[in-house]
Amino acid sequence: MVDVPDERREPALEEVFYPTDRVPFVEWEQFSGARPTVVLTGAITLLAFVTGLSNLSQPTFALDGPLTAVVTVPVGFARFSGVLFAFVLGLVTVGLQRRKRLAWRAAVLALPGLALLPLATLQTTDVPLLVLVVVAVPSLVWNRAAFDQPVDLSPLQIASLAAMVGVGLYGVVGSYTLRGQFLELDTWSDAVYYVIVTIATVGYGDITPTTVQARWFSLSVILFGTGAFTVAVGALIVPVIESRMATAFGIMTAAELTLLEDHVVVLGYGDVTESLLNELRDETDVVVVTDDAETAAALQTDGVSVLTEDPTDESVLSDARVDTARGVVVGSNDDARDVLAVIAAKNVAPDVRVVAAATEEKHVDKFDSVGADEVLNPRTIGGRLLGRSVLGEVTTLSVTDDAGPERSTDPDGGDAGN
Amino acid sequence: MATSAEGGIGRVVASVLAPLCVVSGAIVLSGFFFPAFVGEAVSGAAWLALALLFFSSGLGYLAVLPHRPDDAQSADRYLLKIRQTGLRDAIRTFLAGQDPLTLGLPVVVFVLFFGLQVALPDRTSAAVDAATGTILRTGGPLFVVAVFIAVCYCLFLLLGPWGDITLGPDDTDPTYTYPTYFTLVFTAGIAAGLVFWGPAEALFHYGDPPPYFGATPRSTAASNDALVYSLFHWGVSAWSAYAVIGVPIAYFVFERGAPLRVSTILAPFLGVSGLDSVWSRLVDTLAVFATIGGIATSVALVSQQFLAGISFQWDVTVGGTGPLLFVGGLTAVFVLSAVTGIHRGIRRIAGLNVVLFGLFALVLAAVGPRAFVVERGTRALGGYVVHFVPLSLHIGGEWVANWTVWNWSWWFSWAPFAGLFVAALSRGRRVRTVVFTSVVATAAATAVWFLLLGGTSLFVQQTGRADILGAIAGSSASEAVAGFALFASLPLGRLLSFLFLALIVVFMTTSADTSTLVVSLLATRRGQVPSTGSVVFWGVFQGAVATAVLLVGGAGTLQALAVLTGGPFAVISVVAVGGLTLTWYRHERGHTSVLRRGLDRLPSIQTHHDVDPPEEK
Repeated sequence: MVDVPDERREPALEEVFYPTDRVPFVEWEQFSGARPTVVLTGAITLLAFVTGLSNLSQPTFALDGPLTAVVTVPVGFARFSGVLFAFVLGLVTVGLQRRKRLAWRAAVLALPGLALLPLATLQTTDVPLLVLVVVAVPSLVWNRAAFDQPVDLSPLQIASLAAMVGVGLYGVVGSYTLRGQFLELDTWSDAVYYVIVTIATVGYGDITPTTVQARWFSLSVILFGTGAFTVAVGALIVPVIESRMATAFGIMTAAELTLLEDHVVVLGYGDVTESLLNELRDETDVVVVTDDAETAAALQTDGVSVLTEDPTDESVLSDARVDTARGVVVGSNDDARDVLAVIAAKNVAPDVRVVAAATEEKHVDKFDSVGADEVLNPRTIGGRLLGRSVLGEVTTLSVTDDAGPERSTDPDGGDAGN
Repeated sequence: MATSAEGGIGRVVASVLAPLCVVSGAIVLSGFFFPAFVGEAVSGAAWLALALLFFSSGLGYLAVLPHRPDDAQSADRYLLKIRQTGLRDAIRTFLAGQDPLTLGLPVVVFVLFFGLQVALPDRTSAAVDAATGTILRTGGPLFVVAVFIAVCYCLFLLLGPWGDITLGPDDTDPTYTYPTYFTLVFTAGIAAGLVFWGPAEALFHYGDPPPYFGATPRSTAASNDALVYSLFHWGVSAWSAYAVIGVPIAYFVFERGAPLRVSTILAPFLGVSGLDSVWSRLVDTLAVFATIGGIATSVALVSQQFLAGISFQWDVTVGGTGPLLFVGGLTAVFVLSAVTGIHRGIRRIAGLNVVLFGLFALVLAAVGPRAFVVERGTRALGGYVVHFVPLSLHIGGEWVANWTVWNWSWWFSWAPFAGLFVAALSRGRRVRTVVFTSVVATAAATAVWFLLLGGTSLFVQQTGRADILGAIAGSSASEAVAGFALFASLPLGRLLSFLFLALIVVFMTTSADTSTLVVSLLATRRGQVPSTGSVVFWGVFQGAVATAVLLVGGAGTLQALAVLTGGPFAVISVVAVGGLTLTWYRHERGHTSVLRRGLDRLPSIQTHHDVDPPEEK
């Protein structure tokens, strides 16, 4: 170039047209990730439901789509399929949100299936659904790596699901085979209808067994079916609720955490923790960090602040504001984990006072060498106190003086080592 | 356009728009999905208002979303600032930032014009009509020649040695990725006229064939000629007018440090340091005139057509206040879009525009007569190439004055702002890429549109599925009704009509927000950034001119204004081409043309690229 422009730049040009270095058409990363895919699937679910309702509400329903030229689509199926797909997709969306592989497979199968509906009807109201599906399927395929979580079912859950399927198959095949011995049971769909009505304990009574054999068969379906159904509900749903409750109770909010100052952080939960908490809770704020959900729930009920996280994780300790804490107590029953917790606490806040309770005498030195400021072995202390107590050396029970004045007057001091 | 400073207001506006959009959207969608229950419970006018509210609040919300999440942080400080700044201070700051000539003259002249129109309606209309008639008839050759020069010059830049010139330092990467660049140029440079004329123009030529071809009305030959002529009116000729204004500005801004103004095209004659003279300020003022004239008349015309089309299709009458409300809502949206800046409102709405445009074309192609459109389209493209030069130089006759010259003058009235906008976005791109994008790519997009819509409406008309020409003749709204009559005869007609209406609104918004930005840029003193107040003022002023046009002027005044403002820029474009050629002839030797490079490579490699790959690194 002949004369390169001087440094005098036009502020109008720079600020109006070049505020950033790069202006892309759309920020792809905002729209192409796994999360937008899940949101899109959720939107499709909602839209499928609304479209399905709309199809149901129309007085006349015509099929003019290109698909009708290839196959005959039953009008009734086309009317109901939107709503039915919506229920299936609702489950799939929940699974996708948890990044389950199985949900991804189901979505990849269900979405093209759903696209058949607008192709069959070609109603104006169905076209938005088609457009969203056309966008969602490539997005799902593109993000397939994000949905890699296996569905980990416990043996009980697998067994109960298998029992459900088994009883269902048994009932359908059996009742169809015995159809001559039933009133008004003639086809496969009658058999399915009968089994579901029976297992759900609805029992309309329009299909009834007429022979002894059929009655015994029906009884077996009722017993095993309702049994399997009940167990399955318990096995599948109760754990979900339990884990929800534990998390709901065991996690402090971010706002609560930022308010912490001059508190004591207790890492891990062990035999000494309960008496420790009794000792501390009147004096100062205490936060217990433990990854045991049940303990966390119990502590939360007692009004102790709990963080249900791994106490050896530095980021968790930062959340618990170890840096502004008065001190840290490490005292679970697992010395190996406790050593890690001491190291983590010192990594986050090198100056904080860390007191460790060694479960075994031989580990005291190890706690010292990883930087604990004071290491106590509760058993050794308890043993010594017991010895002195039995010899009547009341004055040396000064350790318990701090714990409770009323106990220091008690010459027995029996529970000092608790 | 300091984004951080607007975070506070942006959040307030967003918190108003979001519930508005959700509620109106829910009602509109429930009416869409359950016409039997909800559809009949609400009147037609209410549906129209709800749909427009939904659409405009959605567009506005899209515009005010922050560019980066951390933009919202400085919001509280800004709110504090608002409380402390009085109205008088705000006006003083606004006036201090404005150039008195470019601010005062257009305001005074437009006020004077509308004052005359109100006081002496007959005499003013007669004078304007006479002036327009004179310009169209006697100035016709000028427009035709200016456009032809522009096309030839663009072809030369595309293939010749100067296409190699990089705008800005050689190592700069373009800030705007190619899709963004194309989207912004395309959506800014074309108005909702494209949407209306797409189904209508070919039909008009089919019913009343152009004298150049002289076919029998409503014959097969006439249908072919009709497609050729609509391609001609909306093809490369139209877009070349933007490029010949844009390329000189871009060159002098990025290579010579000239200010980003329309008057920069005078740099070869005045020198970069001489651009503060009265002449250059006059050109800038003229550009403001042309832009406001072109945009405001388009806004007014489109609003009338939009509502006329709706009243034709659904029998919804909105009365006299309907267009005014429509213009008011449109103004609010495009002001919001312009204020939030190019990387927020303008880019997002432009992106939505292109997506809707593509979606509409896809749906139409899916349900329309594909074989007919492809067969006629290829034939029309062939005819366009063969007849291009004779058509470009075909002067004379009432028909050419009414169609070709009228179109050219309209394009020229848009050229200053569209050209300046193209120039501003082009840093880091080569001249060849700029010309390719702003002429070839955009013309290709419009050509596809006109062939698709024009071909489909010709098919419907010829096969007798619907009498669109009859509908046009039977309605006072002329071309506005063609689209609705066409879609009624196709499958998914309701969806097409909805998309069609959305496209009209969004196309108008994308042009008007850009023009607002450009006008406020031109009216701000040199070396200063247009303030938010300035952008709001010019946006509202455009809306006000459009309202005034609706209130006092008939259709004749609308057309006259556009033609009158376009005229000067036909001359200026020729001057710009001359000046640029002179400068490049002196300073930019040593570039090799694409043709030469192709010939050099011929023995070794067969491939040569006509155009730079869009994402050159």
